[in-house]
Amino acid sequence: MSDHDHDHDHDHGGAHHPRPESEAELRTRALEALLVEKGLISTDAVDAVVEMYENDVGPQNGAKVVARAWVDPDYRHRLLEDGTSAIAELGFGGAEGSKMTVVENTPGVHNVIVCTLCSCYPWPVLGLPPTWYKSAAYRARVVAEPRAVLAEFGLEIGSDVDLRVWDSSAEVRYLVLPERPPGTDGMTEEELAGLVPRDAMIGTAVALQPEAAR
Amino acid sequence: MDGIHDMGGMQGFGDAVWPGSEAAVHHPWELRVFALNMLSGLQGLEGGDLGFRDRIESMPADQYLESSYYERWLWRVEQAMIAGGTIEPNAVEEWMERLRRGEEPPASSDPSLATRAIEELRKPYPLAPAADPRFAVGDRIRVRRMRPKGHTRCPRYVRGASGVVDRIQGEDHLPEGGGGGARETVYGVAFSSRELWGASEEDTWTVLIDLWESYLEPEGGAHE
Repeated sequence: MSDHDHDHDHDHGGAHHPRPESEAELRTRALEALLVEKGLISTDAVDAVVEMYENDVGPQNGAKVVARAWVDPDYRHRLLEDGTSAIAELGFGGAEGSKMTVVENTPGVHNVIVCTLCSCYPWPVLGLPPTWYKSAAYRARVVAEPRAVLAEFGLEIGSDVDLRVWDSSAEVRYLVLPERPPGTDGMTEEELAGLVPRDAMIGTAVALQPEAAR
Repeated sequence: MDGIHDMGGMQGFGDAVWPGSEAAVHHPWELRVFALNMLSGLQGLEGGDLGFRDRIESMPADQYLESSYYERWLWRVEQAMIAGGTIEPNAVEEWMERLRRGEEPPASSDPSLATRAIEELRKPYPLAPAADPRFAVGDRIRVRRMRPKGHTRCPRYVRGASGVVDRIQGEDHLPEGGGGGARETVYGVAFSSRELWGASEEDTWTVLIDLWESYLEPEGGAHE
């Protein structure tokens, strides 16, 4: 029935033929052992890459970009003109973020990001993609029935809003600049970054209200 | 290739959100698979004439649908290393058996490789500026009909559709044929939802997608 890229330990009604989860884990350990034994890679290099994406690279980076754009109109202008360079000003860039386009939500425009062919995603600012982003359902549907998909995320986009769906089919990666919530005038940049959940930068959510963030 | 991975517009996959779908990874092995994929490229352990995505797309369709995301990556990296002669086809199974019998996997340290891996992942590879774009922003184009055997970045759902050049993204190698093809201008092209899907109860929205120049022809300008 449904194919999601979920793991197989919480099957939710799909006609799957789940292999034991431990098979993939065992196979991964075997492959790493084989490559280490051959001297082709090192355990600490694997650890270093894992730690980079566990600790350093994630949506906290994108939230800093958004907060800076909210408080600094010149930065916002540079970000929308040349996303890659403006994001690099804050120290973020690299794999899957070499050509960044930032698209701005306004009261009349809502943007949402997808990769229908695989799972292209701006790693340097958002980290690795959530499971739903990689799922068949999201990839298949958000270009063809975006308002229904966004409603499943709890986001109602009216028919009067210019809804723009960006399919990252080439090497450009997209980041949504969400609207700054009202009632945040006195907040610091750091506090504002706390109002920017990952999904608001994909376009399946909006920024948090200040009271919701507390 | 017109495989199962080309999912835009398909139906029958269920809900977009379900419990647990917010997480990026569910098990520690998934991040190790991610790291093995990064390191195998860096160390030149792969062979064959398929690029990263071409290889995943070569997975049989039923296996693709039954595999989780990082199971596909695990399959990809192993196949690419077998194709490169780095590992023997049954070598992973042999190590699985050794681990099942309780053997401890080896550990090793190579700080310079760890450093190089992080540096590589932080290195930018910007697109070149477009040198000689055939189309200008605002031009009306039509996406060519095609049925490519190998990898393409032209999804089925835009083929034959008319759109408008929204922006010029730069210049990049054609991804067909392992990614080493000629450089072409890449355009961001905007399509109206009605052009792609007909009338809908959701009317209307815009789909914007990046397409290489040879996927496009002037609207009404070509005779096919």
